[in-house]
This record gives sequence, C-alpha cells and structure tokens, in this order.
Amino acid sequence: MISVQKLDKHFGGVYAVHNCTFTVKENTITSIIGPNGAGKTTLFNLICGISKPDGGKIFLRGTEITGLPTHQIARLGISRTFQQAKLFRNMSVKDNLLIAKTASDSEIKEVLKSVHFPLDMNTKASELSYGQMRLVEIARALLKPHKLLMLDEPTAGVNPKVRQELKEILFDLKKKGHTILLIEHDMEFVMSISDDVIVMTQGAVLTRGTPKQVQADKRVLEAYLGK
Amino acid sequence: MAFINYLIHLAILIGIYSILTVSLNLAVGFTGLLNMGHVGFFGIGAYTSALLSLAGFPIWLSILCGGLLAMISGLLLALPTTRLKGDYLALATLGFTFIMGSVARNWTDVTRGALGIPGIPKIVKGNPEFLVIVLIIAAITYFVFWKISKSRFGKTCEAIRDDELAAKMLGKDTFKHKIAALGISAFFAGIGGALFAHYITFIDPSIFGIGDLILLFSMLIVGGLASVKGSAIGTIILFLLPEPLRFIGFPSSILGPMREIIFALILLLILIYRPKGFFGRVDLA
Amino acid sequence: MAIATQLILNGIIAGAIYALVASGFSLIYSVTKFMHFAHGAVLALGAYLMYSFAVILGLNFWLAILLTLVCSGFAGVVMDQLVYKQLRKRKASGAVLLIASIALMTLITSLILAFWGADVKTVPTVNPVFDFLGARITLTQIIIVVVSVVLLLGLWLLMKKTKLGKAMRAVADNKDVAMTVGINPERIYTYTFIIGSFLAGVAGILIGIEQNLYPQMGLSLVIKGFTGAVIGSLASVPGAVLGSFILGLVENIGIWWLPSGYKDAIAFVLLFIFLLFRPSGLLGVKVREV
Repeated sequence: MISVQKLDKHFGGVYAVHNCTFTVKENTITSIIGPNGAGKTTLFNLICGISKPDGGKIFLRGTEITGLPTHQIARLGISRTFQQAKLFRNMSVKDNLLIAKTASDSEIKEVLKSVHFPLDMNTKASELSYGQMRLVEIARALLKPHKLLMLDEPTAGVNPKVRQELKEILFDLKKKGHTILLIEHDMEFVMSISDDVIVMTQGAVLTRGTPKQVQADKRVLEAYLGK
Repeated sequence: MAFINYLIHLAILIGIYSILTVSLNLAVGFTGLLNMGHVGFFGIGAYTSALLSLAGFPIWLSILCGGLLAMISGLLLALPTTRLKGDYLALATLGFTFIMGSVARNWTDVTRGALGIPGIPKIVKGNPEFLVIVLIIAAITYFVFWKISKSRFGKTCEAIRDDELAAKMLGKDTFKHKIAALGISAFFAGIGGALFAHYITFIDPSIFGIGDLILLFSMLIVGGLASVKGSAIGTIILFLLPEPLRFIGFPSSILGPMREIIFALILLLILIYRPKGFFGRVDLA
Repeated sequence: MAIATQLILNGIIAGAIYALVASGFSLIYSVTKFMHFAHGAVLALGAYLMYSFAVILGLNFWLAILLTLVCSGFAGVVMDQLVYKQLRKRKASGAVLLIASIALMTLITSLILAFWGADVKTVPTVNPVFDFLGARITLTQIIIVVVSVVLLLGLWLLMKKTKLGKAMRAVADNKDVAMTVGINPERIYTYTFIIGSFLAGVAGILIGIEQNLYPQMGLSLVIKGFTGAVIGSLASVPGAVLGSFILGLVENIGIWWLPSGYKDAIAFVLLFIFLLFRPSGLLGVKVREV
C-alpha cells in the first residue's frame, strides 16, 4: 500500500529521519513504535507532504507522492489524524465531518456511531471533551474517501473505556478492508491489535516483525532505555 | 424637511458601508485572514470609477471597472501574503493600504495628488433615488455573501480559519480558497468605493486612511465575525451611535475626532469584554 | 560631493530618530510578542506634552523634558494595563492585540486632534547651523544623533549587563521557562513598556523640537520605526537599530532620484518587500511562536 524508501530529513544538521525504508501491506494494521525523538511524527509529516524530505521517495499504491502538496496527497487517498486532535473548533461536529465529504445526515450519523461517539452531531466542536474530540477526528478521517488511514497516537490522553472502544473500531475497520498505519506509545494497545510492528529509533528503522517477535527483541528494549 | 435629507444621507452611507463590512467578513471572519487592505480596495474602486467616469466612460461601466480593478489588486495582494502568519499578514496588507495612499498622493498626473478629484458625476440627480440604488446593491451584496456562507466554499473557508493544516489533510486547496476569498471580498469593496465616489462627488488620498479601517473593524467585530447578518447590523449600530453628538452642539472640528474616538473605544471595549460581538461565531483566541 | 555628504548625513539623522522609535518597538515586540502599533501614540503624546509644558505653560525647559518623559513612560504602562493586559488575560492572539493597538493609536491621535487642534505647531528654539564636511547640520540635529547613540548604547548595556535586562531577555526567549526561575512576566512587561515608551517619548521630544508637531505624527513615525525594525529584525533590538539606519539612508539617498513626495512610499515598499520575502529581517532573528 505504502512504500517508503531511504527517506531523509534533517533540521539544522540533526537528522530527524535517516535512511528510513519500509513497506506497509494492504489490509493490515501496522504500528510504528519507538522512543521519543525517534522520528515517528516527522515520518508521518513527510508521508503527508507537510514536511519535504531531503532525500528518498514515498510511494502510495505505486504512485510516487514524494514532495507533493498535502492536499493532493490527501486526495490521492491518505486520511490522517494528529497527535493533538485538530478539529474545526468553531464548527459543529456535523460541519466538521461535512468538510471531509458531502454526506447525508444518516451517513454522518452512521460514521459517528461506528466510532461510538455519544453526543448529538450538532454539538459545537469546542464543547467536546478531549476523548470525544479524538473520536470525531477519527470519524472525520474515516468519512473522507481514503485508501490508507494514518493515526498519530490515537490513544494518547483517552480514558480506558475509549481506549477499548478504539481497539474495537480498528479491528472493525480491518475487517472491512482498511489499511491502517499508526504511531503509538501504549504497548498493550500496540501488541494486541497490530499485525506488524515497526520499531524506529534515531530516525531509522531498527527492526520490524510481529508483536511477539518485536517484544522478544532485546534491541528494542535497549532502544527505549537508551544504551 | 432637512431632517429627512439627513436621514437619507445616513441611510446611503450605512448602505455603502454595509457592503464593505459584509465583504470584509468573508476574508476576516470566515477565512481568518486579517486583511487590513480592505480600505485600499475601497479607495481603488473609488479612484478607478471616478477617473473613468470623468474620462467619459458610462457610469455603470466605471463602477464595474472599479470593482474589477479592486478585485485584481485583491488577488495580486493575496498571492504573496496569504502564506504569512496572522499579524504579519495584517502588517503586510496594512502596508498595501499605505502604498496605495502614497500612490494617490504622488501620482499627480493621474490622481491630482492631495488636491483630490472633484466633480465626480452622480448616478442619479436625487438622493432618494440614489438611496434606492444603494439599498438594492447592498441587498444583492448581502444575498451573495449569505449564499457563500452556506455554501461548500464558505464552509471550507471556515475550516481553513479554524485549522488550515487539518483542512489540507482533508484534501482542500487552501491557497486557492484564500485567494478567492480575498478576491471576492475586494471586488465588493471596490464597488462600495465606487458608489461612495459617485455620491460624495469628491475623493482625495485621505480615503486610504487608518480611521476608516478602525471604523470597519469596529463594525465588523461588533456585528460579529462570520455572521453576514451581524455585519449589516454592526454597520447600522456603529453609524447611528455617534449621531446624537451632532445634536448636542459640539463644534464640527471636534465632531470628526469624536466620532473616531467613539469607534476606537467601542472596538477596544468589544475586543476586551465581548469579542464575539452580537452574532459572532468565532473565538478570537 | 557635498550633496552626497548631505544626503548621507540626512540619512543618518533620520536613521537616528527611526532607531529610537524602532528600538522601543522591537524591545516591546521581543518581550511581549505582539506589535505595539500605539507606540506611535506615545511618541506623539510626548511631543505634544513637551509642547504644552514648555510652550503653553512656559515651564523651565529641562523640567518640561523631565515631566514629559515621566508621562511618556507612564502612558505606555497605562496602555498595557488597561488594554493589552486585559486581552492577554483572555488569551487573545497577537493579531487581536495588533488590532487593539491600532485602535488605541487612532483613539489617542483623535484625542490629540480634539484637544490640541489640527494646526501644525512648532517649538521655538535657537538653532544654529554648522558646517560639516561641506554639508549643513543644525544643533538640534547634532543633539538628535548624540542622544540617540547615547540612549541606544545605554539600552544595550541595560540588556546585556543588568539583572533586569537579563530577565527581559529570558522572558523574550521563553516566558514559561523564565517563570520557573522566579521571573514574573507581568512585571517584566511593565518595565519593558516603561523603557520602550521612555524611548518613544524622547523621540517625540526630539522630533517636536527639530521638526514640527501635527496630530498624525505618531502614525508616520511608528510606521518608519517598525519598517526599520522589520528590515533589521523585528525581534532583535540591535537589528531594529541597524534596519532603521539603513532605512534612513535609503530614504534620503533615494529621493535623489525620486520626487521627494515618494519618500514615505520608499518605506512602505521596503516594509512590504521585507514582510513578504524576509520577515525575520536582515539579521534573521526569529520569534519563538507563543
């Protein structure tokens, strides 16, 4: 689905992402983990065109998307959520979703239901709790036509109930054929839902494998503890 | 009899300024672009229409050209400035207004500099008739922007205001939207300026002044950002508010500055105590 | 040759004035992170107060200056407390503060207009002219350059060597971190406004004496001041000073070729160009996003 080759990005002499290469298969849930500063969000930004790489290429289902403007990459089929939920504060939940796609009320209600959003769709975005904002952001990303769903730390700051709901939501999406790439720090979450885990450290891929394989890899622990 | 004329005069100005406020709202309230060049567009519309009509062009064509030239300046101004951060954008667009003022003052061959342009032809002889024309154009403007506010384009502009990156991530070409918002807003400001020129029949470089900018922003914020209705109402309120002063008997040399003081004070008070104004839908934070 | 010297000299004199305005403006911007457009109003107030004390009331010249400077510093603080602080409390963005600042500027300009009248005023002085390398310079112009240099040096010493200066630079760099080492940002803002407004007051006095007074003088000078600051670097006081001298020189040398009415246009165009292509100025100091 998505292929990243030898991606490089530096900021003022320091490499945030260095020689990063990996591929994500369709209809899988892949998690990217790694200590803080490993370059995970930078990687996301490079894929989405928010940041321009200094070297390397990115392919989405065979089409090169390196260096394209963000809105074009979005239109080519990437939906993404952010570390801090980026909702349109002054608009209602419904209007937030309508930006993603022109949809009928029932379609909006359905996607909100699929993320277990409890409130009325006319609620103003600024009145939502943090966890509810996350759900709406995911719903909005889902509503937007896409081939790849990228979630940046979806469970950060949410309560255990919402976290459990997110697990169910992601499993459900995979059943429906979606491809999901996520960044996460919550190890329990990662290990229980991922097909594949990529470990990043210091801007590059350290290793990848199934959750079991990664958990058994001593180097991963060392990367987190800092040798 | 004189009082009726006074009321008509007031209504005409309210009509013209409501066109300015409603159009400014698209850029500022809906799209989040702190455009201080609106007065520049107003002046460009005024000067263009005045000069063309004095050169013999039919009045309505001149007015249209005023709007078009203002729109083109809006598009050109937008190109480099929309990527600037909030207060830098404000400063750059303010710079544009000053540059226009400077051009008006110095390009004396065309604009007659500080002497201004007198004798601008009226559209119709009588003021009541002109009021009808202004009200029709104001109503059309209101309708256009109301439609925009409900449209996909308008909603996308609001999304861009609230979070441009999120809007891009949803596939929106934010650059094009911002340019379009500024261009449309500028067109109507130009029309407003042209109408103004043909009413007052004399314009000079002071049209590019900062006082009018504060007046516009007061009307805009009192009425409420991102509310078309608010802009119309804000214009009416702010125009009517200082009028009682006229009847208290202040000398006219004081009246002018007093009006500006009132507008500035209202803007400050609203910003501090009720930034949403009457019908605003946007948090200013 | 004499003409070139004259133009350069004029450029330096103008640059000195702009530097006084720009340094205060830049100081305030770097510490409080917003554009205090009403800085021009403080300048205008300074000029008019000086006029009132020295000419209308006939006070002793030095007393008039002292009173004016005290009032100027005070005026700046009042603006901060009554307007900006209230907006800061409500988490207003830099853009909103700029609008409020422009409103303040308009308010005070109109008050000056209403109170003192629209006619141009002058402060009568004895002003001998000197010859300098073939160019003419008046006593007040010499004073302007000397006073500017002295004050700017003083400002530099203040920022580099004193505890207050270090605290101001800390808040400018990172307000939150400064708070953790016990610095009270609100107090620092107050000091910043006092110092900045004092400089504006000095500029107002000098301009009032050297040129003349009119209600809109604050607007025109604050524009020149912040253009100079933008050219050098808005967030850096030395940058603002550098940019101001550059502006002064470019303006005065520029009107060798252009009709003199375009002098102001030169400033506006430079402002526009720098904002678009090099907003962090020649020295490139960037402001940390709040």
